[in-house]
Amino acid sequence: MDNMNQIVNEAMKRIKNSDIEMLKIVKSEYLGKNGILTKILKSLLHYSIEDRKKIGFEANKAKTILESEIEKRKEGFKKALLVQKMQKEKLNFSPIFYFPFSKGSFHPIVQTMQDMILAFKSLGFSIAEGPEIETDWYNFEALNIPENHPAKDVQDTFYLDGTERLLRTHTSPGQIRVMEKLKPPLKVVVPGRVYRNEASDASHSSTFHQIEGLRVDKNVTLLDLKIILTKFIHIFFCYEPCIRFRPSHFQFTEPSAEVDVKCLFCKGSGCRVCKNLGWIEMLGCGIVHPNVLKSVNYDPELYSGYAFGIGVERIAMLKYGIDDIRLFYENDLRFLKQF
Amino acid sequence: MRVSYNWLKKFIDFEFGPQKLASVLTSVGIEASVVSREYCWSNVVTVKVLDVQKHPFANKLFLCKVTDGLNNYSIVCGAENISLGQIVPLAKIGAILPGNVKIKRVKIRGEDSEGMICSESELGLKKRSNGILTLDKDTQIGIGLEKVLGIDDSVLEVEVAINRGDCLSHLGIAREIGAKIRKAVSYPAIKTFNVPNLDCVKAAPDLCPRYIGMLISDVKVCPSPAWITNALEKNGIRSINNIVDIANYVMIELGQPLHVFDVKKLDSKMIFVRRSCDDEAIVALNGKKYRLDSETIVIADVEKPVAIAGIMGGKYSCVDEKTEDIFLESAIFNADLVRKASRKLNLSSDSSYRFERGLGWDITELASWRAANLIVEVAGGAIKARQDLQNIKYERTSVGLRFRRVSKILGYDIKKDEVIEILKFLGMSLQLKSEIVLCTIPSWRNDIKIEVDLIEEIARIKGYDFIPTLFNHRKNGISICQSNNLFLPAIVEDFRTKLNGLGFNEVLNYSFLEIDELKKFGLDYFYRITNPISKENEVLRPSLLPALYKNLLLNISYGCERVAFFEYGRIFARYGEKKTFAIIMWGKIWEEWWKWLEQKIVPKYDFYFGAGVVRNILLSNEFGITENLNPKNYYHSGQTASVVFEEKSVGQFGILNPTITNDIKEDIFYFEINLDLFDNNSVHFQKKSIYKAYSRLPVVKRDISVIADKNLQFSEIEKIIKIFMRSGNILRKYSLFSAYSDKFKFGENKISYSFRLFYKNDEKTLTDKEVNENMMALLDKLYVKLGLELRQ
Repeated sequence: MDNMNQIVNEAMKRIKNSDIEMLKIVKSEYLGKNGILTKILKSLLHYSIEDRKKIGFEANKAKTILESEIEKRKEGFKKALLVQKMQKEKLNFSPIFYFPFSKGSFHPIVQTMQDMILAFKSLGFSIAEGPEIETDWYNFEALNIPENHPAKDVQDTFYLDGTERLLRTHTSPGQIRVMEKLKPPLKVVVPGRVYRNEASDASHSSTFHQIEGLRVDKNVTLLDLKIILTKFIHIFFCYEPCIRFRPSHFQFTEPSAEVDVKCLFCKGSGCRVCKNLGWIEMLGCGIVHPNVLKSVNYDPELYSGYAFGIGVERIAMLKYGIDDIRLFYENDLRFLKQF
Repeated sequence: MRVSYNWLKKFIDFEFGPQKLASVLTSVGIEASVVSREYCWSNVVTVKVLDVQKHPFANKLFLCKVTDGLNNYSIVCGAENISLGQIVPLAKIGAILPGNVKIKRVKIRGEDSEGMICSESELGLKKRSNGILTLDKDTQIGIGLEKVLGIDDSVLEVEVAINRGDCLSHLGIAREIGAKIRKAVSYPAIKTFNVPNLDCVKAAPDLCPRYIGMLISDVKVCPSPAWITNALEKNGIRSINNIVDIANYVMIELGQPLHVFDVKKLDSKMIFVRRSCDDEAIVALNGKKYRLDSETIVIADVEKPVAIAGIMGGKYSCVDEKTEDIFLESAIFNADLVRKASRKLNLSSDSSYRFERGLGWDITELASWRAANLIVEVAGGAIKARQDLQNIKYERTSVGLRFRRVSKILGYDIKKDEVIEILKFLGMSLQLKSEIVLCTIPSWRNDIKIEVDLIEEIARIKGYDFIPTLFNHRKNGISICQSNNLFLPAIVEDFRTKLNGLGFNEVLNYSFLEIDELKKFGLDYFYRITNPISKENEVLRPSLLPALYKNLLLNISYGCERVAFFEYGRIFARYGEKKTFAIIMWGKIWEEWWKWLEQKIVPKYDFYFGAGVVRNILLSNEFGITENLNPKNYYHSGQTASVVFEEKSVGQFGILNPTITNDIKEDIFYFEINLDLFDNNSVHFQKKSIYKAYSRLPVVKRDISVIADKNLQFSEIEKIIKIFMRSGNILRKYSLFSAYSDKFKFGENKISYSFRLFYKNDEKTLTDKEVNENMMALLDKLYVKLGLELRQ
């Protein structure tokens, strides 16, 4: 038995000191076809049954130990080789990366519009879309803007040759179309592109986007309007809103208001964006004029509603700090890639 | 419009300063801002020159003694125009002049100077001036110069809503302040006289409901006194002469536009208010000649029009320095007609601006007397006769208000007493009947017609600040979404997300194009704008291509090497608006990288890559890509394909026609698809996402190469393969991995295609034999149908 221990100790010592080539030799010397341990196991036949059991057990044990030791040593060599390989492969640059595609982007107007609509969806509004080519009835008459009314002039309308049609000057015709189709209660926003026939400059564009909001039900009030707009601004701009209503005039609402928001940048203390006023004009709104309700055969005694219209470009300009509306339509990659 | 702070104070007694006034006005719906305090000095007073001596040590300087009535000052002055007894402005020690010049006690050439006598340029009143400013001999001394010049005032710019014509005057603005602070306005003292009646005006009721004419004789026309010119100047009105100035003065004071005729220049004793005849013309006060038509109201004598009613007087009949007798007109004209004429003639004036917005019945008379009073006071003369032509019987409007409706519309309470108070201070006379109040609307408020108009007035005057803000906007944590649809159709959202990941940039273009921009692409327009103010707005776009192409050129011009854009918007086609999505791409697909450059890989957008992008974003197999049988002119005739959905062509893509893009060497890929079929609500857009069990057995791959005629359309080969693959065949997929021709190997006009074939059987593992047999069967088909041979 001492003999067996001796063999194992000897083998262990040799394994420990061997390099990768030597290891192979050691392995074959002990475990190979003519290896020491193999020979012992083969010679068992010549022993008595008792000895056979004993020696067999010891020899098998020794074989397992050596096998695992050799395997361990082998793994160690493998690992060391990999470490060496990685060292060899170390790039001689500081961190560098490559991705074949440049950064894609969404247009800031479309994105702002989507974000605004998500906010309104979370406030329970449905979404409707109307045509951009409209009739006088939907764009003006039904909205209490009669023929020859000065309010019509202010709108700078594009008329289409050879038709009775025009390009909508606001998304408000959407109000009428929605009310024609549905009965109250209703709560919708109508996003879309609108057109004004005016010279373009840093803050005016002949093409721009609006989101119209409308809610009609029994007992809808000016207070409800203030609540919903406050909530919207809270959700959209993620900041404690402070809004101010100012009396204004729109033909299709009475009472009418313009809404200012406390400047998002200076929080009201005055800065370049708010022209030191502390407030920023955000949207127009009001209680739907009874004449508008009548034009879609709603009973103004029974129902009331609020409506609002928000300029998307204006909001996007605020959100991203853009000072020229024309940038949106130039489509210069140096601009687009920033979003 | 501009208003003077001091002038408003004459009408209404209020305590606050100009800035606060601006915010009060804004709070009642008249956006106001202080434009200027018109002087920027302090401590400059009027003094009298008591003594002028030559400076002992300087030729060009004088030693002066001046007094402000209390103290005497020694001043060194260099102005040659200084003389004894003059009243001049003195900047005392401690005074500040424009440019932040501070006046200190100084010694000039050894003599003390206790201040500075100022010129107009030193005061910032003029750019240049000769010598010191001298004032009228009877000017009071010892008072601030700004008072003497009448510029101790603030001017406010106010923006009046279109329905509030009544606010286009100092009186009107004052009434609003009065309602807000609950005080009554005081009118200027106006004397009326009993004078003989005239009967010289004839007017049609529909054109002119009321016309007051007044004959004033023996006036002396001369320049206006300073208080009138100052007042006009603040409102941006040029002074003409005292008579014309008074007419304008009363207009900005009371809101009623007036006109004055020189009686001697009229061809008859009669005045007609009538529609113009079609061939008439008039030279207006601005010196321009206007052709009139029957939609224009004119004031005429028997012969000819002498004024365009409500817009501008005629040059012929105007008041000049020789005028002695005048006819003063204060009238109401049909607002619609004035507006139409003003648009048609492209001529607007302070007067037309007011007439268009409508005038009150009562103010016509008040303004007439006010102007007559001022004329007699300033220009002398006597009121000889008068006519008040009332063409209609004016009835005051009454509107009922149910108190309970106030909170029903507003959502918060305003006490009944306060409602009544507000209505009273808005000038209404009230009749109370328990739960209803009947309001007689003052003549100037022709915008109030129904109950909600009154409710708005109440809310407005009470102040929108009063709408409660203490509601808890963060409570009610649940958000209910009633609808599933997004603003953009789901299919567009899908395209956008995918393309964004592929490095495409989204753009937005105007809906308009110039006609010239279309020609190049062989496009026709279907909607032309009748009244574009700019050439850019001539027609509505029939395709997204022209603008996208322009975007591409812009970005190439500053050195971009890769452009890949997409846009979603409406185009305006023959049958109306169409929701359209488009892609344009050009240049290097990938950004350059040295490692790939080593291997000479610089792929550029071409037809195949473009088609791959299109294939990738079209979400389901319901879209087919087929030969383009009817390609748009702007495509390369040999490199275009059509996108089909349910056997309908919905889009086309391809390389742009080189005749369009000849400046650009590389291929430009364009894709446009009409999305009207894929609305959110349409049944076509239901993503088929039902799980299908898949087999875990391995796929067997085989490569084969065949040799074909070059003229044979590749799609023909594909057709055969596809038919072969149908219904349970173990060939599941194929791909083309090489295509090349070699004259020597395959012969002239021959091409070799290499396919990788993917075999699979869902039930059992395939054997070599099965696969080989199947492959032979395919080769057989290809040989029999198209003559393709296996490449050995």
